[in-house]
Formats: sequence, structure tokens, C-alpha cells
Amino acid sequence: MTELKAVYERKHVWRNEFLLIISLIVFVGVVYVLDGALKPVFTTSTLILTGILLALVPSAIWLVFFYLQDRLEPEPKGYILGVFALGALLAAAIGVPLIENVFRVSHWIYTNTLATILGGILVVGFTQEFLKYAAVRYSIYHSDEFDEATDGVIYATAAGLGYATVLNIQFVISNGGVDLGAGVIRMAVVALAQASFSGITGYFLGRAKFESEQIWWMPLGITLAAIFNGLFNWLRGLVAQTNISLSGASVSPWPGLALASIVAFGTTAAVLWLVRRNLNSVQAGK
Amino acid sequence: MENKKISLGDRYAEITVILITVIALIVGWVYKSGVENSSVPFNVEGIRAQAPKGWLQSEPAGDEILRTTDRTSSGFNTTYVLRKIPLAANTSAAQVASLLTLGHGQDLLAFRVLDQREVTVYGKAAYEISYVYVESNPNLTHKNIPSIVRGADYIYVNDNNAVVVSFWADEKSYDLNLARFHIFLQSISY
Repeated sequence: MTELKAVYERKHVWRNEFLLIISLIVFVGVVYVLDGALKPVFTTSTLILTGILLALVPSAIWLVFFYLQDRLEPEPKGYILGVFALGALLAAAIGVPLIENVFRVSHWIYTNTLATILGGILVVGFTQEFLKYAAVRYSIYHSDEFDEATDGVIYATAAGLGYATVLNIQFVISNGGVDLGAGVIRMAVVALAQASFSGITGYFLGRAKFESEQIWWMPLGITLAAIFNGLFNWLRGLVAQTNISLSGASVSPWPGLALASIVAFGTTAAVLWLVRRNLNSVQAGK
Repeated sequence: MENKKISLGDRYAEITVILITVIALIVGWVYKSGVENSSVPFNVEGIRAQAPKGWLQSEPAGDEILRTTDRTSSGFNTTYVLRKIPLAANTSAAQVASLLTLGHGQDLLAFRVLDQREVTVYGKAAYEISYVYVESNPNLTHKNIPSIVRGADYIYVNDNNAVVVSFWADEKSYDLNLARFHIFLQSISY
């Protein structure tokens, strides 16, 4: 009877995950088509509103997707939203100003390949991953609700999606709403990438709480997440295909975006595999 | 959220994460400084300098011997210009400064001198003019808002030549770019 219930629940979750991915594809497709057909022109306020809407929808879909992964004991939604908001606040208050204004990465990071990779890992990667780690470590980590290793991934992905939302709002506003069709695909991929990289940190955080890990365990988690983050940013800008025609030259973001998507989806698959392995071992223990 | 007592292991892990992040950021800062301050040697007409690496060097025109621009800077692109101007005997740096100021007044929009004085720059006597002007695209259909540019000219008189080093940057990023310009200024020898 219990086994039948488990199989039913698993099918139910898979169906929901499938529907979520379809809804994300539909959303991206609708924005892509509308942007191509209407070529919207924005005022400052409509641009900000559009930015918030376009950034929130993919984040919300991925948030539900990762939330569904915790099948044994779903976390309180209020806590998940709280960590999401904390991730967004830390991005807006510390992450973006530190990377853009103090380190001024846009001025030097694209000077050469080494600068892109090292700057992406040491400055962008470590700043972002530490702040997402801090959003979990200094809020929910010691609460009674953080009661299994998988919770580390669930809360960390929520923090990552909060962070990604701020990055995506900033992207729409700084671009002035230009080329939202390609932009919305980028935003969906960035949201997934930020969630999966912090998922790595979350996995290490969860294990650190419930198993006696060595002192290097948590720094290793942050470092791995920062490396993936840096590689993702490098790949995203790597293959910028230049098209030259009579009307002028243009740069296609698609090849770089495709490569970056492979990293994002690969990391997500690895994080989901770790989550399921954790859940299976907990169920086997019971 | 009820917090439990933090174990010693937890505390060590927390400190190690903070440490490794701080170390990564310090190394990142050192690397950033290295990239921003890297240079390529320049030697034309007896004037040697270390020009910023990765900047766009334009074809010099007139008395200019070097014009290098940072294409990644926001607003007006930060630019260094080196000029070698032949002088009549006994011409002083102040006289060259007056001529340059007159020229800027004719060529630049809304040109205003902020300060001018004799200075010693890394052991060499020079004359400094600080000024501001507006850079506007002459194309009337161009939609960009004009930039306010801050500039500084350093005039060195050497035998029958004046070596003029100019620094132009967007008013918003002028102070941030000043340290890099001083490295360039220090590298100049003739």
C-alpha cells in the first residue's frame, strides 16, 4: 500500500515538473513572439514593471520546480519566500554594487580569456555564491525546519533565484528593454544557473549540518559553486557570432547562450541527482 | 525560527568560508589591478612611455605622437594623448599653456579652465591646466546625450620642444581613472 502511494506521488511530482517546464517554454515563447510582433517602446516606469515581470516569472517557475524536489517533508512556503527575498536583498544591497561599482568588472573582465575566467570565478563567482550561502546560513540554517540534508539545496536554490531575479531586473533596465525576445531566454537560463550553482552550496551546507564533515567541506562547496559560476559567465560571452551584412554588423548571443545553457542544465541535473540520492537514502533508512 | 547552539565545527566551517571568500576577493583585486595597469612600451621621436595595454591606439594626426583610448569606459571614453610641439627659443611652459588654452577654447564646446599652475610631476617641472568641456556628436540626428568631459594637460618644455600629455575622461569617472593616468605620466621619459 505504502509502495503504491510512493509510486503515485512520484508520478504526480513528475507530472507537475513537466507542466512547469512546459509553462516556462510557453512563457518564453509568448514573450519572444510578442516582442518580435509589437516591438514595444517603454517609458521608465513601464520598463521597470516589464523588467520585474519578466524576471519574476522564470524565477517563480524554477522556485516551484525546486520546491517540489523535497518530497519527504516540504518546507514552509513562508520560509522559502523569506530566503528568496533575502537572496534578492543581498544581491541588490551588496552583490551588484560590489561587483559593478567597487570591482568595476565590466571595465577589465573582458580584456582577455584569462581575465574573464579568473575575474568570473574570484570576483563574480565568490561574491555571488558567498551571498547566497549567507542568505541560508544566517537565517534558516539553525531553525527546526532545516531538518534534513536536502533542505540545504531547497533553501539555497530559493536564495539563488532571489539573486537571479535582481540580476535579471538589472539586465532589462540596463538594456532599456531592447530585444526582450532573446533577453527572456537569457533570463530563464540565468535563473536556472544561479539556482543550480547555489544548489551545490546548499548540498554541502545540508551535509555539513547533519554529517560530521571536515573543515574543508564547506569552503570546497563554495569554491565549486564559484568555479561553475565563473565558467558559466565565460561560456555565455565566449561564442559571440558576428554577422556582417549590408545593413551593418550584429552580434548573435545564441551560441554562447547555448553553451551556457548546457552548463546550467548539467549542473541542475547533478544537483537533482544528489537530492534524489539523499531522499532515497533517507527513505531506505526509514 | 528557533536557533540551536552552534557547534565548534560549525563555527570553524563558517570562519573558513569567510576566509576563503575574502582571500578570493583579495586575489581578484590584485589581479584586477594587474590587468588594469598592464602596459605596452612606446617609443616614438625620443619619447618613451608605457601605454595602457588593451586600449585602442588611433593613428596619430598633426603633432600628436600617441592617442590611446579605453573603449570599455562608460560615457566619454577615457583618452590619453601625447604631443610633441616644436618651440621657438626661450618659450616658457606658461606661454605654451596659453596657446593650448586658446586652441581648446576654439575647438571644444563650453570649454572652461578650472585651474592652471606650475607643478613638479615625478621630479620634472611641468605646467598643469585642468579644464572641462562638453563632448557632443555634431550629427543632429544622433540621440545620445552630450557628455561632460574633464581634462588635464601637462606641459613639459625640453630644449626646443614641448611635450604635452593630455588626459580626458567622463566627468563621472575622472577621479576613478586618475590613478591609472598617473602611472602613465610617471612612465614618460624624453
